[in-house]
Amino acid sequence: MSVMLTKFESKSNRVKGLAFHPTQPLLAAALHNGSVQLWNYRMGVLVDRFEEHEGPVRGVAIHPTRALLVTGGDDYKIKVWDIRPQNRRCLFTLHGHLDYVRTVQFHHEMPWILSASDDQTIRIWNSTSRQCIAVLTGHSHYVMSAQFHPKEDLIVSASMDQTVRVWDISNLRKGSPNSGGPGSSSNNAGGNFETFDSFSTVKHVLEGHDRGVNYAMFHPTLPLIISAADDRTIKIWRMSETKAWEVDACRGHFNNVSSALFHPKHELIVSCGEDKTVRVWDLAKRTAIQTFRREQDRFWVLAAHPNLNLFAAGHDSGLIVFKLERERPAFSTFQDTLYYVRDKYVRSYDFNTGADIGLLSVRKFGSPYVPPRTLSFNPAERAVILTISSDNGLYELTNLPQQAQGEVKDSSVDGKKGTGQSAIFVARNRFAVLNKATQLIEVRDLANSVVKTIKAPVQTNEIFYGGTACLILSSTTSVVLYDIQQQKTIAEINSPPVKYVVWSNDSSLVALMSKHIRGMDDAGVFIYSTLNHIKYCLAQGDHGVVCTLDNPVYLTRVKGKTVYCLDRSARPRTITFDPTEYRFKLALLKNNYEEMLYIIKTSTLLGQSIIAYLQQKGFPEIALHFVQDTNTRFELAIECGNLDVAMETAKTINRPECWERLAQQALKQGNHKVVEKAYQQTKNFDKLSFLYLATGSTDKLSKMQKIADARGDPMSRFHNALYAGDVQGRIAVLRDVGLHPLAYLTAKTNGLDDLAAEILEAAGLTETDVDDVPTFAASTLKPPPIITTTTDLLWPSLSTAESFFDRALVNGQLEGGVEPSYTNGDAAGSSALDAWAKEEEEEEIDPEEGGWELDADGGEFTPAIEGEDAAVDAEEELGAGATPGPSEPDLWVRNSPLAADHIAAGSFETAMQLLNRQFGVVNFPALKPLFLSQYRSSHTYLSPYASLPPLKLHVRRNTNESSPSRVLPVAVRSLQSIRAELAEGYRFVSGNKLTEAQATFRSVLESLLLVVLSSDEEAKQWRETVTAAREYLLGVSIELERRRVVEQEPDNIQRNLELAAYFTQCQLQPPHLQIALRSAIGAFAKANNQAHAARFAKRLLELKPDPKIVAQARQRIAAGDRNPRNTVEIQYDEFTPFEICAATYTPIYKGSPSVHCPYTDAAYLPEFKGTLDPLIQLVEIGASVSGLPASW
Amino acid sequence: MESSELYHAKQQFTLGAYRTLAQQPLPETSSSDFTSILLLKARSYIALNDPKLALKLLPDGSENVALKAVASLARYVGSADPTEAEAALEELRDFSVEIEGEDVEGSDKDKALVRVLAGTAFARAGEIEEALETLGSETEDLEAIAIIVQIYLSINRPDLAKKQFDRSKRWAEDDLLLQLIESTIGLVTGKDGYANSSSFYTEQLGNPSLSSPHLLTARGVTRILRGEIQEAKSDLEESLEQQRGDQEAQAAYVVAAGLGALKKPDTEEVWLKFASEHPSHPLVQDVAQKSAIFDQLAAAYTTPPQAQAAA
Repeated sequence: MSVMLTKFESKSNRVKGLAFHPTQPLLAAALHNGSVQLWNYRMGVLVDRFEEHEGPVRGVAIHPTRALLVTGGDDYKIKVWDIRPQNRRCLFTLHGHLDYVRTVQFHHEMPWILSASDDQTIRIWNSTSRQCIAVLTGHSHYVMSAQFHPKEDLIVSASMDQTVRVWDISNLRKGSPNSGGPGSSSNNAGGNFETFDSFSTVKHVLEGHDRGVNYAMFHPTLPLIISAADDRTIKIWRMSETKAWEVDACRGHFNNVSSALFHPKHELIVSCGEDKTVRVWDLAKRTAIQTFRREQDRFWVLAAHPNLNLFAAGHDSGLIVFKLERERPAFSTFQDTLYYVRDKYVRSYDFNTGADIGLLSVRKFGSPYVPPRTLSFNPAERAVILTISSDNGLYELTNLPQQAQGEVKDSSVDGKKGTGQSAIFVARNRFAVLNKATQLIEVRDLANSVVKTIKAPVQTNEIFYGGTACLILSSTTSVVLYDIQQQKTIAEINSPPVKYVVWSNDSSLVALMSKHIRGMDDAGVFIYSTLNHIKYCLAQGDHGVVCTLDNPVYLTRVKGKTVYCLDRSARPRTITFDPTEYRFKLALLKNNYEEMLYIIKTSTLLGQSIIAYLQQKGFPEIALHFVQDTNTRFELAIECGNLDVAMETAKTINRPECWERLAQQALKQGNHKVVEKAYQQTKNFDKLSFLYLATGSTDKLSKMQKIADARGDPMSRFHNALYAGDVQGRIAVLRDVGLHPLAYLTAKTNGLDDLAAEILEAAGLTETDVDDVPTFAASTLKPPPIITTTTDLLWPSLSTAESFFDRALVNGQLEGGVEPSYTNGDAAGSSALDAWAKEEEEEEIDPEEGGWELDADGGEFTPAIEGEDAAVDAEEELGAGATPGPSEPDLWVRNSPLAADHIAAGSFETAMQLLNRQFGVVNFPALKPLFLSQYRSSHTYLSPYASLPPLKLHVRRNTNESSPSRVLPVAVRSLQSIRAELAEGYRFVSGNKLTEAQATFRSVLESLLLVVLSSDEEAKQWRETVTAAREYLLGVSIELERRRVVEQEPDNIQRNLELAAYFTQCQLQPPHLQIALRSAIGAFAKANNQAHAARFAKRLLELKPDPKIVAQARQRIAAGDRNPRNTVEIQYDEFTPFEICAATYTPIYKGSPSVHCPYTDAAYLPEFKGTLDPLIQLVEIGASVSGLPASW
Repeated sequence: MESSELYHAKQQFTLGAYRTLAQQPLPETSSSDFTSILLLKARSYIALNDPKLALKLLPDGSENVALKAVASLARYVGSADPTEAEAALEELRDFSVEIEGEDVEGSDKDKALVRVLAGTAFARAGEIEEALETLGSETEDLEAIAIIVQIYLSINRPDLAKKQFDRSKRWAEDDLLLQLIESTIGLVTGKDGYANSSSFYTEQLGNPSLSSPHLLTARGVTRILRGEIQEAKSDLEESLEQQRGDQEAQAAYVVAAGLGALKKPDTEEVWLKFASEHPSHPLVQDVAQKSAIFDQLAAAYTTPPQAQAAA
């Protein structure tokens, strides 16, 4: 049980007094050596030191609202300090006590300071007037502590006289405002006790301790007092208006108890003593919960933070700051929801909407003041497992309600409990529980029965989810990935004890956390929080700060620019931050240049740090693209050897150093042209000449000679002449500078005797003057011959492909310049855990999914007694004599009145009967393909077990139904898909593919016979679809007949015109009706039936066709007006409503007898009753039928 | 405890990774797993409908009753001739009687396997009663339970299958095979919208220690049952990619196609291809039978003459 967690420790002299700053992470410590330290316990740094007391300082307190510190020491002085760094100093000193000052305290609202002293008095001082305003006498020995009541006008004091006293100071408030009471008028701080006493009275004297009492304090809200004494006990006292009495004592310390505190939030007592322990007690039961031991140090003082779950204890060699219980709230996330525990309630928080709902109370789970430690969520079952560290470790498995209810359920109602220190879901219907004592991991099912027991391969402290069928085991020195099925270790790494594990969304990475950090992974980037920062870490180890924190938080999810977290009191919060930096780095790692470029173009972040980062990580060529600054560009270009860019930037900079560096880099690459250019720029003639020598550019060398000449630089001229092998040139130089001997010798050794003589002459000498000069053989030294002219050749370098950036930057835009989706969103992928959850989602939504369904196989839920009966039955039934049961297709037939369902079940006989009865279908062979494909698609086969015949499985349409009385086969064709086919038929009509259209409409009508409907709305649609298909089928058939007539009976113009006219009477959609009308107009105009043509044209105009068609139609109307006659007499009266007989294509005027198709309702002349309908060729005309049953 | 090699082989066998298993080399003959893995390999070949290779693998003249039984099963599965098949079946009958006696070479495990193999053959032969009798409802051999459960399911008695399963849960330690059995029952009963089967196959697909296209097919079938046709299509296509022409996956693909995964003409094409390649698949045979019945039934209706214009 890790109830106590040390957060900070310091080494120092003995600590006798401690005080927390109420709002800042500061702690004041009074030391035995006279120093008062001010620590920032979060950063772990000493902020300040106040050293004016002489001798030990025992009392210390920080003002609740102002930057003030009060201290009291063995020098009898009380000092008040300003602790603001800029003003730090002792403001004033209060004199008056006649012996050591033990404790000091500020009043929470009055400007009062309370002090307790060995002079047996308690004093109250006015910090404004800096006067003593009351002296409380009564104790007969040292007063070891004195504390104000947090709300009422009471003081509690503890003394070596073995009593605890409660003092009423209400008179003080009434009688003495700022003036400071009688003390100020007499201006006499000491001695006048009687005057002071009138302002305060002893209310209660609490007797019961057998030794001196070291400390006493009030409970913050209850009328309780706690005291710690040298009799090794802690006593709890209750007080009423009139009396106070001892309630109980906590025994356990085996030496003097120095201090005891009420926990400010929980029903706990914290105490410390000279037995070197800090102990935690249950206030209600007065039993010890936890003992924290130190080897060497006796504890002297305790302090509680007024708001946070923090305590400080002072001991012989320093102080510790600790918190009680684990502060990290138990939580788990699934998709967009956070499940977490606050104040012993399981709550859900929707990341998107921010809805925060209490779902389940866990108040009765474990100790009431210990929050659950972990929460594991199972989305498939909507269940949670909580663990708690109290009672030696418990777990509880509970289902969460589907939605928040008015009355929040308590987990004790149906929770399944057990002992274990760590419990997590490992699969949809399994969870694992670790028992640390026995080192056994039990795998349990949802009924909480053990299905498997595993002996932990290493001493395991905690278990975590490890992917499918795996666990991560954390031991003190290593982490083990363990396969549950196989019961074997898959991997093991050495590591300090791991406390938290976070998987990345795609389960490819896992973060193991061992210290006080807490984190959250998101697709490649691990985001975690420390005490003061949110940081990121990339898989290759790079890390950095994302943002700083005022208070520690516990990250629950990171999405885009938002961090979702729980604060210390487990309240959901969000923090926005700028993820650019790590996104950029991640993109760099993944070579995702689009994203990098996008970041570059849109963010302002790219300062020197990123460039430095790129350089450092070996990506100068990438950095090059981001930099505008010429100098930096030049540096980067040199670094990555991009000579073009380097050259370009060097031109802009145009400083010798740049050219030199460029020349160096170019030399390395063998690009002598760039080198030449660079040397030229810096007028580095020597090097230039040498370069020309090296490259064999003789002409350039001679040019250099001329330049040297022009510059009047004989040395350079000589050099160039030497390089060029120009002996005469050399001699000329030597002569010019007056080095005649050298010139002579050069000439001589190179066989230029004439010239030598000339030189001699010029020098005014003769041969004889120089006969003591030794003669040399002619020099064989010549410039090396040029074998390959490299003047125009560059050393071949690896050609660099045009990079993404080059392209993008040249284009000036991104290819597909859309913002890439955040790589860190949850959308990227889902872990295995999510996957098995996702499968179940539909089920979750199903409102019918209640406990009411009489499941076919719901036997396991029957009560125990029935279960036994069933078991007895089973003994008889199981075995060889098992008789086959009703098959699923049998059930389908039983459950449905639809022909389609009977076909799916394979019961063709009944299906045919139904079709015959419902629609009058008599001609079945045409339906055979439909029957067979429908049957075929309703059954699937699987061999789950080797070599057995495959199991025939039946596809249902109500997949959430398993009750035999309700299962129905899959709907092979949906109304929707048939309507799509109808639309295809329409397209054939528009495209003048009438034969295909006819076939399609027929097929639509066939399919519609076998469609499964689920609502009145659908039934209506069905009827509309049938009618539409029929009208089109009729229309298309008429038009086909007309074309046949035109072709085969060209003289039968009357029939031709009649059919054209009837076609326009079919109920078609406007575009198709336009086609019919225009075709009719054409036919009638051709036959010179101008009056009729004009009528059709008028109808055409009503359809608001194209302007062009409108013009034609108007012409036709005009023609009709001019010549309102019809040449050919036809049987067509458009003013009397009529139906068209689908067999003869003749009108059946309203009022005339007719028979109808029982399925499509197409009209026929009465003589056709009892015949097969010609439209779809399936049904008997005029048969009496029942129609489609409403099966929903 | 069994070695991890054998464990893996078993896992592969259970999850239908027959091809992988069949292609793996055998361990050293001296290895204690040799026979067990040899048996699994041979059975994998049989499961792949390749009994000849199984027979080739099996040593001649072994006295081990399990090896002999596997050979018989292979002969049974491979026989085209009914008398030959009957002879193989008769051998298995003899073995299952022999193992009751004392003087048979083979461990208890081998004997249990003989029952499993005989049960398999009987079930294939349609001798359900005999199969159940041989396997025995009181057995504590999970493989036998698997067959019993499948037999119960095939005769539409999921209630009995469930009972048998519940009973084995008490001793079977959450074995992988037990989970498979549970999942199979789920496929038939459709309890909770096939959640159990779906998560079982999804979980196993996520299992890094093996990959089997059979699992993909199985999940595809589960998804068909769940009405997730497009997802099923992608599973099945992936499965078919891994093992071209696999009968089981193709059969399921035909169904998915018919339920809207493919367009109508494509569906017919897939179906015709399947029907011609696997004329013995139950789906093909079933449909052929239905087709005959249809013709017969349709003939019972007299079709009146079609209405025509008198002219």
